Amino acid sequence: MADQVHELVIIGAGPAALSAAIYTCREDIDTLLIEKGAIGGLAAVTDWVDNYPGFEDGLEGLKLSESMRKQAERFGAKIDLNEVTKLSKEGDLIVLDTLTGPIKTKAVLIATGSEYRKIGVPGEEEFYGRGVHYCATCDGAFYRDKKLVVVGGGNSAVQEGLFLTKFATHIDMLVRSTIRASDILQKELAENKKITVHLNTSTDEIVGKDGKVTKVIGTHNGKKVEYQTDGVFVFVGLDPNTKFLAGSDVELDERGFVKSDSRLMTNVPGIFVAGDVRSGATLQIASATGEGATAALMIREYLEDHAKISKAKVVSLYGT
Amino acid sequence: MVKNITIFTTNTCTYCGMVKRFLDIKGLKYEVVNLEENPERQAEALSVSGALTVPITVVTKTDDSQQVVIGYNLSQLAPAVV
Repeated sequence: MADQVHELVIIGAGPAALSAAIYTCREDIDTLLIEKGAIGGLAAVTDWVDNYPGFEDGLEGLKLSESMRKQAERFGAKIDLNEVTKLSKEGDLIVLDTLTGPIKTKAVLIATGSEYRKIGVPGEEEFYGRGVHYCATCDGAFYRDKKLVVVGGGNSAVQEGLFLTKFATHIDMLVRSTIRASDILQKELAENKKITVHLNTSTDEIVGKDGKVTKVIGTHNGKKVEYQTDGVFVFVGLDPNTKFLAGSDVELDERGFVKSDSRLMTNVPGIFVAGDVRSGATLQIASATGEGATAALMIREYLEDHAKISKAKVVSLYGT
Repeated sequence: MVKNITIFTTNTCTYCGMVKRFLDIKGLKYEVVNLEENPERQAEALSVSGALTVPITVVTKTDDSQQVVIGYNLSQLAPAVV
C-alpha cells in the first residue's frame, strides 16, 4: 500500500467528486475517492432536490447521491471511508496523510465541499445535540408535536424548515435581514401556516434549563425578543472544508476557499479543485457536477502530458 | 476487542447510513435501534450519550467498557471498533 502510486485521488465523494470519477474511470484512469463524511456530501442530507436537471418531479437528496455513487462505482471508482489530514508534495508526486497511513498519487482533485456554519452565540455549543441541531433529516423526528426555531434565511433554511413542518407544530424562522431563498421556495414558505418568519431578527443566545433548550433570545429592530422553543435548527451558511490544507502550498482566498485557474487547477501543478470548496463556485449541485466533469477532462490532459514528459526523460537518459 | 455495537438511528438519517456502511465494510455486526419506531428508547440514547441526536454509536468492548460516538466521526469511530 505504501509503495502504490495512484493516478488520481479525489478528496471527497460529493457530487463534484462522483461526477469527476465517472469521467476518469470511464477513461481507465485509476481513481480513488476518500470521503470522511456522507457519500454525496450535503446533497445526501438535503431533504429534497427540485432543481437538478433530469428529474422532472424532483427527488430526495439521498436518492440522487446514491444514484451518483452507484454510477461511479459501476465504472470502477473506489471509495475509501477515511480522512485526509494533510497534503504535501514529494517531487512530482502528491502525498496525502490519512487516518490509515500515507497515500501517494500523481494528481489530486480537491472536492471536499463545505459544511454548515455555526452561528457562534452563547449556548450553541453547550446545547449541541440537546436542542441545537444542524441536520433536519437526521434529527427532525425528535420534535414531533413540538415547537422549533430555525435560524437562517437562505435556501437551506427555508427548504429544511419546510421539511421540519412534517414534525413540528410551529416554527419561528429567525432571519438576520431578509429571505434570500429562491422565489419558488419563498412561495412555499408564504403558503405554509406552520412557519412564522421574523425578518431583521438576529439570534443572540440559546438558553436552556436542566440540559434542554427552552428559548432563543434575539434582537429585532433594536429591541430584545424571546422565542420559547423545544429545539433550534441552524442553517446560516457554509464554510469550506479546507482545514487539512493548512501548511500546504495550495492557495486559498480570504474566506478559505481554494483558488484555481481556468483549467480548475490550483497554484500547485497536479492539484485540481471542483465544487463548493472552489473559490467562485456557485454552490449548486448542478454546477458541482459540471465542474467535476470539467476537472476530470483537465486531469486527463495533465496526466497524459506528464506521461509524455516522463517518457521523454527516460528516452533522453537511456536513448531510444 | 468489540463485544457488541448498537447504533441509534432515525428514518431519514444519512449519517446513520454511513455508520452502517463503515461497519459493514469492516465486517462488524451491530444492532440498529430506530428511535422513531422505538421512542421509548430515546431516554436510553440520551442517557448513554448526553445528546438526543443521531447517529449515536455505542461500542461495548469485551471488558464491558463502552465508547460512545456521537454523529458520524471517522476519527473517533475507526479506533473505537478496532
